[in-house]
Parts: sequence; structure tokens; C-alpha cells
Amino acid sequence: MKKKDYHLHDPTWCLGCGIYGVFSSLKATALSLRMKPEEIVIVTGIGCHGRLNNYFRSYGFHSLHGRALPVATGVKLANVRLSVITVSGDGDAYSIGLSHFIHAVRRNVDLTYIVINNMIFALTQGQTSPTSRMGVISVSMPFGSKELPLDGPRLAFASGGTFIARGFSGTPKQLRHLFEQGLRHKGFSLIDVLSPCVTHNKINTYDWYRKNTYDIGQKQGYDPENRHMAEQVLKGEEKMALGLLYKEERPSYEDLLLPGKKPLLQSRLTIDRKEQERILKKFE
Amino acid sequence: MRTDISVMIAGKAGDGVLFTGNVLAKILKRQGWEIVTYRNFPSNIRGEATDYTIRASLKKIYGSADEIDVLMAFDCDAIFEHIGAVAEEGVVLCEGQELTRLKPREKTGRIFHAFPMRNLARERFGNEIFKNMILLGGLCYILDLDFRIITQIITDTFLKKKGTDVVAKNIQAIHLGCVEAQKIVRKEERHLLKIKKDSNRLLLSGDESIAYGALVAGCRFFAAYPICPATEISQWLALYFPRYEGLVVQTEDELAALNMALGASYAGVRAMTSTSGPGASLMMEGFSLAGMAEIPIVVVHVQRVGPSTGLPTKSEQADLTQWIHGAHGDFPRIILSPGTIKECYEFTIMAFNLADRYQCPVILLTEQDYGQNYRTVKNFGYSKTQIDRGKMLSQKELLDIDDYQRYKFVRDGISPRALPSMKNGIHMVESNEHDVRGYRDESSHNRKMMMEKRMKKLESARKDLIRPKIWGKRTADIGIIGCGSTLGPIQEAMKQLFDSGIETKYMQIRTLWPFLHTEVENFINGCERIYVVDNNFEGQLKHLIMSQVNHKDKMESILNYSGQTIRPQEISGFIQKALKR
Repeated sequence: MKKKDYHLHDPTWCLGCGIYGVFSSLKATALSLRMKPEEIVIVTGIGCHGRLNNYFRSYGFHSLHGRALPVATGVKLANVRLSVITVSGDGDAYSIGLSHFIHAVRRNVDLTYIVINNMIFALTQGQTSPTSRMGVISVSMPFGSKELPLDGPRLAFASGGTFIARGFSGTPKQLRHLFEQGLRHKGFSLIDVLSPCVTHNKINTYDWYRKNTYDIGQKQGYDPENRHMAEQVLKGEEKMALGLLYKEERPSYEDLLLPGKKPLLQSRLTIDRKEQERILKKFE
Repeated sequence: MRTDISVMIAGKAGDGVLFTGNVLAKILKRQGWEIVTYRNFPSNIRGEATDYTIRASLKKIYGSADEIDVLMAFDCDAIFEHIGAVAEEGVVLCEGQELTRLKPREKTGRIFHAFPMRNLARERFGNEIFKNMILLGGLCYILDLDFRIITQIITDTFLKKKGTDVVAKNIQAIHLGCVEAQKIVRKEERHLLKIKKDSNRLLLSGDESIAYGALVAGCRFFAAYPICPATEISQWLALYFPRYEGLVVQTEDELAALNMALGASYAGVRAMTSTSGPGASLMMEGFSLAGMAEIPIVVVHVQRVGPSTGLPTKSEQADLTQWIHGAHGDFPRIILSPGTIKECYEFTIMAFNLADRYQCPVILLTEQDYGQNYRTVKNFGYSKTQIDRGKMLSQKELLDIDDYQRYKFVRDGISPRALPSMKNGIHMVESNEHDVRGYRDESSHNRKMMMEKRMKKLESARKDLIRPKIWGKRTADIGIIGCGSTLGPIQEAMKQLFDSGIETKYMQIRTLWPFLHTEVENFINGCERIYVVDNNFEGQLKHLIMSQVNHKDKMESILNYSGQTIRPQEISGFIQKALKR
């Protein structure tokens, strides 16, 4: 395998867009984990991130706005042997698909969820998103947002998340490391990726993110498996922590539902005579 | 000796009317009678009026009767509500003393007795709950039910879960009810039912029939959000799927339910969801996605009364238009409307094959009346189901293809499928308009070609669809058209009309979409007058027919939007009156 085996087309996102960082980190991750393109399914939602399928060589499903997680859950449950990577934007994950996000976290389905968070609705030309900071002026809220921003990792923590990370598309090396860990994690992994939109978001720029984030590795003695420590970090300090913020081991949804992890796809489809008659007897 | 009887049990939600009704239905079924039950219950756990009618007949029946022969009520409200439907010489047994409040006119010709079921239960068993068994005991006397059968059913019901003590107490209560009824109901007031052999029949609801059909059809993934009156499908599957390597997910909402099922189907597993009213509205976007992405899917919609929350536990047919014309954009869809419990089972199996063959959504549109009510049906028996996955490529076939195109332009519009994990099959599934490989393509040329390719599948499907069924006398020139659960009332109405010298024939439309013009046109041509029965306000079935064939002046609507299934007399009465005009 080579990195170019995952490269289908050159992307056409705006020059400097944070999604390039995600795209290249994802290819590097696939390579380092020696993943076969046909065994990867990337499910995306609606937004600039949704083009990812057109550039990354693997099976792909560009679903409806907000519905990437239900589709991905269905794919994974049908064939647990697939590596299912779900990619959303902040609108997809935290606005229109928020309910699915909380429930997928709570179910602990073995999915890797990459949320490309640019704090703006970019594809539709720059409206306020649920992660936009309070007071931010946009075409949809010309007098400034009066709403508190929503924090995905914090919400995942409150919903019983078992792998919660935050990355930054300006630090692809760390991002790759987080993707790798997320893909290896048995259960639902959230990687919220702070990702500048160079066209529509003039506030949350690369510089802004650099000023407003810090690497959790710099925090002495930080243990992502320590619930109390994670809670403190996720509570929202002045700066956002980057890295693996929380991790715990808990049986995944498939572990609980599919004993032996046999893919549903291989289930026996026919019900023999004896069994049919036995079931029908109940209705007699 | 009677050959046809209707018994109503009435009370308040929480009284155990449903449970008692189900037990009685089972008793009568085991006595060899044909059964049609009709539940009329509120969307409420406790306190509001509820009733359960069991019609039993020695002949084949399809629907409820117009009249009630025996009414057993835990309180008098039900009697005031239903007195008009009680037949002459009908017997009414009621808990309270309020019978005096009935007008003399209402009492004439009917037989009334106070039957203190609650008091007896409290006095003898120290618990009001036994009133239901006392009621059954009363019926046991009035209808001359077989005690061995009752004992067997009570034992089967309670032994495993509650133990011998509970079984014994319940049987005692039935005895008590029987003895007490003997004291108040005169011999000549009884309606004696004979016993026939109960040979190889089932008693089940449409929801159960559909759920069982899905299991036999090879469906192994089911996702749904609980909603009345479709919940019984989920509950049955939740119990049975794990035993047959299937999986049921209770999702957070109907958006997730359909999208999750689509994900599973895309990955290669036969998948289904079920819903009703508001849930179906939420599913519209996913319905459209299934059409665009060409993913096989079966959606069961058990119709309840709308609009909005409507009457969640009652029956209507007002969602035909929603599936035929609903969701954004043009895309192929197949909509089936089963009219019997057996068809609920058979059409479910067909729905999966159609969905796989034509790679499109297939909707099984039923109604609460079929979903939640029980009917006897000849045992389905073992069926060696032909599971046809359509154009599904094997790994070997796929490896032989030079340049695999998931949405390849082919004559019948149906392009061969490859599943994720297969080598040489990598493609995209796009909710946007896409090219043959599934990648986004906004060019007008491609758009036109893709649109035509998808819609062509409907034409390819046409030959494969379930034709309408014609009932009654072929030579009759009065025609009735209906679909789904109006089958029962129409059959009953046809008997009533025949008895008054009017011959009719009836076309049961079984595929609502794509519309089968030729068959409908031929039927209409063979009739002087056509009456289209619709359990909705707008006459949705009639409008559908009128939009497809040219016979507007011949057609009249018979409508019911009362929240109840249309009654036979509404149909026969309407036609009799119309013919006199």
C-alpha cells in the first residue's frame, strides 16, 4: 500500500482550507494502519467535508444533511468487519444531526467520527453555526449571535463517550495520531477537528486557533483515563485542549448485540420447515 | 343455534378490556369459529372509554358486523355510547345500576341485566382484577363456551409467568361468573354457540403477520421508533430476530430509523423499518434518499388517523398521497396495499424481492384496523420462500468486470450492485445527482440520463407487480373499488346488497403505485357505476384513479373519516340510495 492508493482525485476545496489537513492525515492513517480501500467505508453528511468521498479512494456514502451517523451505524452493524469512518461538519454533527450524535455516543457503536469544526456554515456561504462564538456576526445573524456555542467533546463526555479527542487541522501530525488511536479504539471515537474556513470565517483563523489552544501533552501528569481530570479540561477553560482528552474501555454496541461478532451480512436467511411451523404454532 | 355473533367488551382504559378480549377471541377461535376483532381504544393508559368487539362466525368473514349481540360492560358509559348498535334481542350485562338512565325507547327489544363483576371480584377474591375472569365466566354461560378450552387457554396464559395458584384463582373466578350469570340471565336469553373442529388455523394481527413475513423473507436488520399502531411489528421482531441472527435497533427517531436501515441495506443486509403518521412524515427525506441512491428498502406504514397527532390508535387511509407523491423530487417507488392478513404476510415477502429486484423503496401501506386487530386465517404453513436478491454481483463476477459502474446505464435501468468490502467494486453512493460511478455530476446531460435510468425501473417493475383482485359476480354492473382494510366492510356490504337483490363486483387494488391502468380501466369499462370506498375525507383512492383513467362521471366516493373503519351498512346504504336516484 502507498499513500496514493487512497488518493482518487485532487481536492478542490478553497486553497488553505483546513479540510486538506484532515484529508492528508486520513490518507496517512489508512496507510499506517495498512487498511484496504475496499474495507473502508467513509460516510459523510452535507457540507464542504462531504466532498471528501470524491477524493479519497474507498467505498463512500454521501448521505443527507445530519444523517451520516445513522447511515454509518447501519453499515457497521450490517458488516462489523468494515472500518466505518464517519465525517461531518459542525452543522451536520452539532446542529441538524445533534440527536443522532448523542445517541451514537451513548450506544458506543464502533465508529470513528471526525467532525470538521470550522465554526461556520461554509458551503451555504457563511451562516452562523452552533459552534460559532457568541456575538459573532454573519450573514444569517447580522446583529451578532445571541446563542451560546455548543461544545461537541464536552457533550460527548456527558453522553457517555468512550474516546474523546480534539485536533487541529494545522497540526496534521497530531491529527494523524488521533485518527489512528480513534480507529483502533473499540467503540465510538469522536475527533473534533478545529478547522479554519479561509473564505467565510475571518475570526477563527489558523492564528486564532494557535492562540486559543494548547496541547494536552503539555499538562503535567494528565491522564486521559482519569474521569475527574478530563472533566476539568472539558469544562472549558480559556484555551481549548488538543489531543486525546478522555478514554475508557466499555463494550461496544456490536459486542453486546452480535455475540461472536459475526457480520449480519452472513446471517442465515432461510427459516426451515420445523422452525416456521414452531413459530406459527404460537398463533394457533 | 347462532352461526354469527358479535360480542363487545367495554370499560375504561386500564380495566383489562384488551386482555379479556384477546382471551375471548382465542376461546372462540379454538371452538372452531372464524374471528374478526375490532379494538376501539383511546391513546391513553388509564381512565378513558375503551371497547373490544369480537365477531365470530361459522362462515368466512372479512370484517366486523354492524350490530352487537352481547355487550359486557364494566361501566355504563359504554352502554350509552353503543346502545344504538345493540341488536334486537341483544343481551347487555353491565356492572352498575345506572341502566335506569336509559330511555325506554333504547331498552325496547333488548335485554338488560346488572352484573356486579367488580363487587364479586372484591368480595370473593379481595381484588378487583378478577372482574375480567368473572366477565368471561358470564360469557361462558351466555354463549355456552367450552370449559376445557377456557381452562387450557388460561393455563397457557398464566402458568409460566404467574404459577399454579394464579391459574387456579382465575379458573375459580370464571366458574363464579358462570354461576352468577345463571342466576340473572334466563335460559331463552342465551346465544348458544356450537363447537366446530379448529383445524389448522391461525389467529393473528396484521402487524404480527408482517413481522413474521419479514423474518421468512430474510430480513435481518430492523430499525424503528415506537409508534402506535406499528409498534407490534418492532416488538415481535425484537423478540424473534436475535434467535435468527437478526438485529433490531430502537432508534432515537424515525429519521434515524430509515437512514440506519438504508445503511444496513447498502452494506448488503435486507432491512426494514415501520412507522405511522408523524413518523412517516419524518421519513420522507430518507425515502427520497433511497430513491436517489437506489437502495432497496421496505417501509411498513400502518396508517392511523391524521392530520398531526390525530387519533393515534384509530384507523384511516389518509396517507396514500403521502407515499405516492410525497418526498422531494421524482423517483421510483412501489406501494403495496394488502387487504387480508394472509396478504400482509405474502406482500411483505414480495416487498423484499421487489425492493431488491428494482433497487428502490417499497412501501407496505396498511391500516390500524389490520395492524392491531386479530383475524383467523388458514395456517400459512411452511413456505419455501424464494429469496431473490436481484442484480447482486458475487465477488467472482465483480472481479471479471473491467470497469465496474454502480449506476451503469442499462436497458432495464437496474444496474448490478456491489457491496462494500468487495474487491474491484469501489464506488460512491451519492445523495447528490451522480454519474455512473456514483460521483457527483451536475451536468444536464448526465442528469437527464440518470433520471430516465431510475424512472425506467418502474416500467421494468410493472409486469412483476401484484394485480388487482376482483371479487363478486363478474357480470354485475355495479362496481366497487377499494384498497386495504376496506376489504372487510366491502365484502359484508356486498352480502347485504345481494340480499336486497343488488349484484355487485369489487376490485381490490393491491398495488397503489405504479398504477396498473389496464386492469383498472377494464374493470371500470365493465361497470355502469363505480363506487370508490375511501377511509378518508378527500377520497384519496378515487383521486388517484381519476388522475390515471378517464371515467370521472362514472365514479362516486363513499367516505368515512370518523376515526373508525367504515361500516358495511354505510357502503350498502349509500349504494342502495344512489341507485334510487
